[in-house]
Amino acid sequence: MNQAKMKVAKAKTQKVLNILITYCILVVVAFVFFFPCMWLVLASFSKSGSIYSFDGFFPAEYGFDAFRTLFTDTVMYDYPKWFLNTLFIASMSCIIGTVLTILTAYCMSRFRFKSRKAMMKTTLVLGMFPSFMGTIAVYLMMTQFNLINQHWGLILIYSAQAPMGYMVQKGFFDTIPYSIDEAARIDGASNFTVFVKFILPLSKPILVYTALTAFTWPWSDFILPKMLLIDKNLYTVAVGLMSLGETEFARFAAGSIFIAIPIIVLYFCLVKYMINGMAAGAVKE
Amino acid sequence: MKAIAKCKNFFKTLSEKLKALPKKLSARFAGAKEILSQGNGKVTASMAVMGLGQLLYRQWAKGAMFLFVQIAFVTYFILTGATDLFGFFTLGTREGNAWYGVEGDNSVVMLIMGILAIFMIVLYIAIYIANVKDAYRIQCAVDTLKEPAAFREEAGALLDKSFHKTALALPVIGVCVFSILPIVFMILIAFTNYGDTIVPPALVSWVGLENFRKILTLGQFAPTFFKIFGWNMLWAVMSTALNYLAGLGLALLLNKACVKGKAIWRAFPILAYAIPGFITLLGFKFMFSYGGPINYYIQQGGGEAVGFLGLDAKWSARFIGLGVNAWISIPSTMLLATGILSNVNTDLYEAARVDGASAWKQFIKITLPYVLFATTPVLITQFIGNFNNFGIFYFLRDGLNIDGYFLASDTDLLINWLYRMSIDNNYYSIGAAISLVIFIITSVISLAVYVLSPSYKQEETFR
Repeated sequence: MNQAKMKVAKAKTQKVLNILITYCILVVVAFVFFFPCMWLVLASFSKSGSIYSFDGFFPAEYGFDAFRTLFTDTVMYDYPKWFLNTLFIASMSCIIGTVLTILTAYCMSRFRFKSRKAMMKTTLVLGMFPSFMGTIAVYLMMTQFNLINQHWGLILIYSAQAPMGYMVQKGFFDTIPYSIDEAARIDGASNFTVFVKFILPLSKPILVYTALTAFTWPWSDFILPKMLLIDKNLYTVAVGLMSLGETEFARFAAGSIFIAIPIIVLYFCLVKYMINGMAAGAVKE
Repeated sequence: MKAIAKCKNFFKTLSEKLKALPKKLSARFAGAKEILSQGNGKVTASMAVMGLGQLLYRQWAKGAMFLFVQIAFVTYFILTGATDLFGFFTLGTREGNAWYGVEGDNSVVMLIMGILAIFMIVLYIAIYIANVKDAYRIQCAVDTLKEPAAFREEAGALLDKSFHKTALALPVIGVCVFSILPIVFMILIAFTNYGDTIVPPALVSWVGLENFRKILTLGQFAPTFFKIFGWNMLWAVMSTALNYLAGLGLALLLNKACVKGKAIWRAFPILAYAIPGFITLLGFKFMFSYGGPINYYIQQGGGEAVGFLGLDAKWSARFIGLGVNAWISIPSTMLLATGILSNVNTDLYEAARVDGASAWKQFIKITLPYVLFATTPVLITQFIGNFNNFGIFYFLRDGLNIDGYFLASDTDLLINWLYRMSIDNNYYSIGAAISLVIFIITSVISLAVYVLSPSYKQEETFR
């Protein structure tokens, strides 16, 4: 009798301990991920810009100066212009890139044509090359096409390279049952109609996932813009922020917050789609 | 033992495929033989001049299109194509001299244009074959007293039966020009002496395997290469393992029944995931800089400021890189694992509990195999991504030259070295050779892992 009671009590303490440890780890994890973000937010509200005037992680004095200079002092660092440039490049590449990727993935999933296997293997092998191994060639080609120092050059590269990552999307389309296609085809719909009217409405999660990845890549890329954009007026935010030193730390933090917020909001709204899209792609890849 | 058996199996299927190759090829040529022996005069006309056969069969629109392609290609070839193709082999013969006003050949541009010319020829041949096949198809239709398909019908098929051709045209062209062409260019550059002092207007020439010999034997490059390679492997293995296990652990932790408010706990890693990488990296660089907060507290405590990322900070910089990389990549692994865990069949756990399996046993026997199976492809991509992780050390420690290294620092990965060599210092051909080496390493490793993984064998069962 007593022994059984002790056993129950032991199991109970074990359970409590288990919960306690779990929460402890969770708090630590949350702190680790949250603290650097908070540090940047605090830093953006510091009155003096330089990192040397901070008391450790915290600014000595608080104020909105960094945000004011960010948008008004545009002689040296024209942040508003950079922001608009980035927005333009990212949105255009997102639209074109998403369309191309979805089309590629759909064809690879639904059609069985002669060069299909060869194309799949080629993309697999191409994906193993270091990504900017070809950047020198891209640079030389862009000079030949006269697209250096122009936003459309970047957009062209981003959207043209996007279909290479069609695998996740193909995995998603593989999970949509063929019976939908067949039923529609019996009703006399063409393949084009099947795709637009039946498949697309079903693939909202993967559309969102694709658009999001196609948007964030140019939004935060720095290699290509740094190489292809020479004029300071044409810079994207990534290249522009890289040119800020330790004495401009507050301005860097403020600029970072403005570039990070749209992405963060997007991610939180769409996190459900993201999980579904990634999981679907991973299992079937 | 199992691994060896699997490897053997892989090579066995490979050799079987090779043996079947002649048969496959002859099957492919059977079609060509049939056209050659059975085709009538009009098909031969199409062989001589593209589109002629179609025109003779009164297929005006299609015939005109093929004819147009023929004319366009011939014009292109006469105007620039032939010289471009020739230039591909010579890489220029006339050296420019600004002093005498001689405009010389630009070898690099000639190389790119040469590759483009080869692409064009391949494309032309493909269209040419399609043209002959089309003519033969019309002949067959006419011979069997059927009406050959009208142009409007065939154009309509582009949205239906051959929708994939329409849809794939643009992506394929884009990938060819902006992914394949540059890679081909770089592969070819690895076999030339382009770079260092030999940049246009100087003439570049083909040198064969010279660059690889230089990397492996020359005192300038070889020690740096092997040192960086060793660290690169270590880095790739460590960071992949760390990110994978930590991400999986985090997902499992959040998946526990006793955790309340999962959405809130999950929000913190997602926050980290959403912040663009360059901001995180620059932020951490500021954090560990001489005037940064960490050093501030060290000085407050009476210590000396430490150069965490400075010149002689070998291992501290490496560990900071590892940590920062984990901070950036763990959330995505967590999201992925969360998605996969939600797909695990819960009946399995029920059954295991009834049989008295402990939580640990359940994890080892059910969760881990499933997750491992589902994520092997992702694991490979992550490994390659980490092997070629350019951003981390580019932002944390750019531009350092350390003793014993040629144009590199002790934290640099091969990809950083490649960048420094080719973009900043003009060693183009050596850089290209290094990237070929990187490619060979990564592809061999990932292929081996892929063949050994359970996902490989059962790929088609998931269809």
